[in-house]
Amino acid sequence: MPLVLPPNVSEKNFQKALDAFAGVVGRQWVLATDEDRNTYMDIYAPGDADEHIPSAAVGPQSAEEVQAVVRIANEYKVPLWPISRGKNLGYGAAAPRMSGTVVLDLGRMKRILDVNERFGYCLIEPGVGFFDLFAYLQEHKIPLWMSVPANAWGSVVGNALERGYGYTPYGDNTRNICGMEIVLPNGDMVRTGTGAMSNSPCWQLFKYGFGPSWDQVFVQSNFGVVTKLGMWLMPEPEATLGLNIQLPNPDDVGWAVDQLQPLRLSGVLQQSPSIGNSLRIVAAQSQRSQWYQGDGAMPDDVLRTVLDKFNLGWWNINLRLYGYDDVNEAHAKIIKAAFAKHTQKQFEIVKWHRGDPIADSGAGVPSATALQIINWRGGRGGHLGFSPVLPPTSEHVLKQFHSTKKRYEEIGVDYYGSFTLFERYTTNINMMIYDRDDTAMTTKVRSLFKVLVADAAKEGYSEYRTHLSDMDDVALTFDFNNHALLRLNETVKDALDPNGILAPGKQGIWPKAFRGARA
Amino acid sequence: MRTKPRLRSLAPFMIFAVTMSAAIAIGMARPGFPQVKPAEDSPQQLEEGNKLFYARCGYCHLAGGTGTIMLGRRLGKDRALLGQRTDLTAAYVIKITRVGLNSMPPHTRIEVPDSELDLIAAYITRPASARTPAPPPPNGATHE
Repeated sequence: MPLVLPPNVSEKNFQKALDAFAGVVGRQWVLATDEDRNTYMDIYAPGDADEHIPSAAVGPQSAEEVQAVVRIANEYKVPLWPISRGKNLGYGAAAPRMSGTVVLDLGRMKRILDVNERFGYCLIEPGVGFFDLFAYLQEHKIPLWMSVPANAWGSVVGNALERGYGYTPYGDNTRNICGMEIVLPNGDMVRTGTGAMSNSPCWQLFKYGFGPSWDQVFVQSNFGVVTKLGMWLMPEPEATLGLNIQLPNPDDVGWAVDQLQPLRLSGVLQQSPSIGNSLRIVAAQSQRSQWYQGDGAMPDDVLRTVLDKFNLGWWNINLRLYGYDDVNEAHAKIIKAAFAKHTQKQFEIVKWHRGDPIADSGAGVPSATALQIINWRGGRGGHLGFSPVLPPTSEHVLKQFHSTKKRYEEIGVDYYGSFTLFERYTTNINMMIYDRDDTAMTTKVRSLFKVLVADAAKEGYSEYRTHLSDMDDVALTFDFNNHALLRLNETVKDALDPNGILAPGKQGIWPKAFRGARA
Repeated sequence: MRTKPRLRSLAPFMIFAVTMSAAIAIGMARPGFPQVKPAEDSPQQLEEGNKLFYARCGYCHLAGGTGTIMLGRRLGKDRALLGQRTDLTAAYVIKITRVGLNSMPPHTRIEVPDSELDLIAAYITRPASARTPAPPPPNGATHE
């Protein structure tokens, strides 16, 4: 990819900035060839890769090097886009929101600084991947479990900072953050919570500190570069008990949500289960052309044939109970009784006890097999995620499900959806899978996305996360009091980052220097 | 209480996405590909290449991984596991890692530095008898 300069930066000054970066991190960690730039593009770009072109990448190895790089960026007014491992797949991957931005790749910062077995936490750097931390815990026989997302190729820190989640009782990774070290846009460094004391033994134990608590201000944010992060880990339980069931009809998701929500709220169910439609599994195990070659969305009768072939339900639910055997059995009885009100189908039971192979445990065991879904349409695959948050009731879920499926069918995309059930909300992840090189297909996907954002906003549903190209649209759906939240965010942004050098446009937050670039 | 500061760079069980087209999977040297001298690697370098292959490529190229599945579909099961291939050249491995192929994304020089990629390429282009048997994948985890 040829060079696209940052806005208002001359080629001469850009080169001076790169030279200065090299003086800090070493020449080999300033990546600025055409081939390098290609490696930081959105690897799943839905036809919009040219809107998010990085100009270069710089890879510091320490927080001190991050500070030095940030100061140089201020000097030359060169914007930086921090990434941990750059695997924000479906949301833009490693690419920056604004073309010309230099990627600040923290992938070389991969120290596991502390793992505390007694209190269940770790302190890690952004480059530590889920596989790295898992391997460390296994190698040292530390009985702590991680919460791992569907695709575990990425960074533990990056996932938590983007509000990713896994499927154990510690599934909400952002909720498990306890203490951060942050390089601010002016190059200063701050530690949050009790880490603000130079000698606190409680940095990873007590989240709040004294006065305002700042951790969440740096989540999905462009107010600082997180260089260390504390994360709570789950003690290995004595046992787990899995309950798997397939529900045959599209509307079964309604009663399933109504039955599960009170159990989730009361703590009978401690993890947040995902109720996923069958395409999630079918796409991981086969390709569309095996079943259907026609245009438009795959018809329901074809899908029914596929489900029969794989012995799947329309919706598939895997619940897991964690804790003491007797308690798990008692909770399983309650769950079975709740489902028996609506179906004769029986749960498949999967039991695990401490010492059995971890693969059967329901622990967060990293896998990247979920990446396989992108091959559903053939060619160079990609996916885009549309992810609104709604109240966990059958009324909301059924209405949203039918409305979304209808939009998919109108535009001609195969419906792929799931509802992950938390105590008081459900996150409705919808994937659109496409061949990146099929312009007609990516055009359809992008138009579908915009329609879905608008539909959701009419119902008052926000998205929990979105792709680079849609950050402005989604930010504008937060419209209370003439977009007061966006005005607050940009007031803070301008105060902390007067030159606007840190991730301009992330989450729709634009610094004064680049505000004209808002879509 | 356990505190173990430590630099960690390798994870032994990973899966990594590649789909290679039959037309170019043979990996013949060709114009535009970096010319890599066949390595005269020491046993230590081969062992390091082995570890790096599992750590950097294993996400998708061990048994059950996305890359293995896609290579199996395109080239047949006997050529699905990258670690067992005998028809690749180092130059080809290096180029595809950097530019990607089909669903396999390109890899940055920070994720896989040039020095590591050279060792990986040297390792998987050794005769099969010079390679270490693959460790079994750690789990049968699905993406649920």
